[in-house]
Amino acid sequence: MTNHLQLAAPPRRGTASMMVDTAALLPRSGTETLSGPDIHDLDAHRAAYGVRRSYLGSAGAALLDAIETITLTGRGGGHFPTAAKWRSVMAHGVGGTVVANGAEGEPGSAKDAVLLQIRPHLVLDGLVSAMETIGASDGVVWIHDGAWATARSVSRALAERAHAGVDDPPIRVLLAPDRFLSGEATGIIRTLEGGPTLPRYVENPAQPWTTGHRPVLVNNVETMARVGLLAVGSAATYHPTSLLTVINAAHRVVLEAGPDQTIGDIVDLAWHSPDGREPQAVLLGGYGGSWVPWEVARALPVDVGAVRAAGFSIGAGLIAPLPASACGLEESARLVRYLAGQSAKQCGPCVFGLASVSQLADDLSGGRLSPSGRRRLTKFMAEISGRGACRHPDGALRMLTTALDVFADDVSTHRRGRTCDSPTYAVLPVPGED
Amino acid sequence: MASVVPLREARRPAAASAAPTLRIDPSVCDGVGICSHLAPDLITVDSWGYPIVSPTPLEHRSDRRQAEAAVGACPRKALHLSR
Repeated sequence: MTNHLQLAAPPRRGTASMMVDTAALLPRSGTETLSGPDIHDLDAHRAAYGVRRSYLGSAGAALLDAIETITLTGRGGGHFPTAAKWRSVMAHGVGGTVVANGAEGEPGSAKDAVLLQIRPHLVLDGLVSAMETIGASDGVVWIHDGAWATARSVSRALAERAHAGVDDPPIRVLLAPDRFLSGEATGIIRTLEGGPTLPRYVENPAQPWTTGHRPVLVNNVETMARVGLLAVGSAATYHPTSLLTVINAAHRVVLEAGPDQTIGDIVDLAWHSPDGREPQAVLLGGYGGSWVPWEVARALPVDVGAVRAAGFSIGAGLIAPLPASACGLEESARLVRYLAGQSAKQCGPCVFGLASVSQLADDLSGGRLSPSGRRRLTKFMAEISGRGACRHPDGALRMLTTALDVFADDVSTHRRGRTCDSPTYAVLPVPGED
Repeated sequence: MASVVPLREARRPAAASAAPTLRIDPSVCDGVGICSHLAPDLITVDSWGYPIVSPTPLEHRSDRRQAEAAVGACPRKALHLSR
């Protein structure tokens, strides 16, 4: 029996052997799991983790306690405490929906797709346990349209369980539009209520569904897999690891790491430096995360609480090292442009504000920004902050704010009307860009 | 921080929590802008003409009157008062 996700044998450099196709989001790249993935069918799953206990009736309280004991937080990136989220849904009675969210909007991230492809039963064990605990009658696995390998894996796993006579409640696989914001929880709930897959304004975060509709619990698939581990094991045997995606120039590496490892260890293990030098900084959490200088990032343990205590977030588990020879400002301006383009086009501060910020960031990166333009950039960033229906613009602003600080040298070079002599290749991949 | 507690609040401690707050659904707002004219003390507009709404509860009747006028006039029904 094993107490962590164990996507593969403990990772060692140079043992990457198999590509997992998650090509839907980044068409020209593949993803590898170190040591090669070891795909679990139902028998392998049960041999590795054990057989799930039922959480119907009063047994659910113990699972909720276990979730609270390990302080499980949302691995989609928000890190909201999972137990509190469950309790706020349970306060509205039984008969609701539980969604295992595998849409993974974060463009650099591949960990959710890899997890659903090689450990589908762990996610389903978590989903079913959540449904039993909460008293939900409807289960959903939410996946990007186009993520066929992932959808096939989940469908096959569901069929396997039905064939083996596993007594699961009904679970549907729903395909979301293939967009950045399709994994946003309020957009999922809006879809289940018959609306479009677009984020919406929610006044009370404890009730993101519309009054009169079924209560809905949305948890990221990695969160669900961790519930699955607790459902077959216990809080005492749980190992607090994290799934990470490390971005390389032409591929991504997904791996599982624990608090005994640092971000520095992970970069050593899974990142191939294009210039033979250590990175100058790491974009941590996601494209809406924080740039962290390498001296700081390398010492951070892979631990949700420790990263938070340092003032950052492990977010959706993205680790994007920036080569020493690249220009952080140019990369960040590209990312802001991409994020502005991925707006759901609903809120003025995002549609117009983020677009204006992106234009000014481009001008700054291109060495064209006047001092008054620089003041306008600062003013615009302050004006937009906290004003979207969802957190999309806030993430873009956080990334740009940390970039202007961490890459202050690049900024002052570009402000003087010059650009860096950085390589012309783009380091961080965005979908749809050549 | 004010060192003197206003008499009204001191007499009725429940008043603070009962005061409504003006809220906006930014996904519905089209930046028409009538609200900022009707509630100039509570709503300013950003560089693109979209309203920035004061997040503080409306303790004073004059503020509540402004807020109600803005809520009623919004052609997109993007504004509301919540407690």
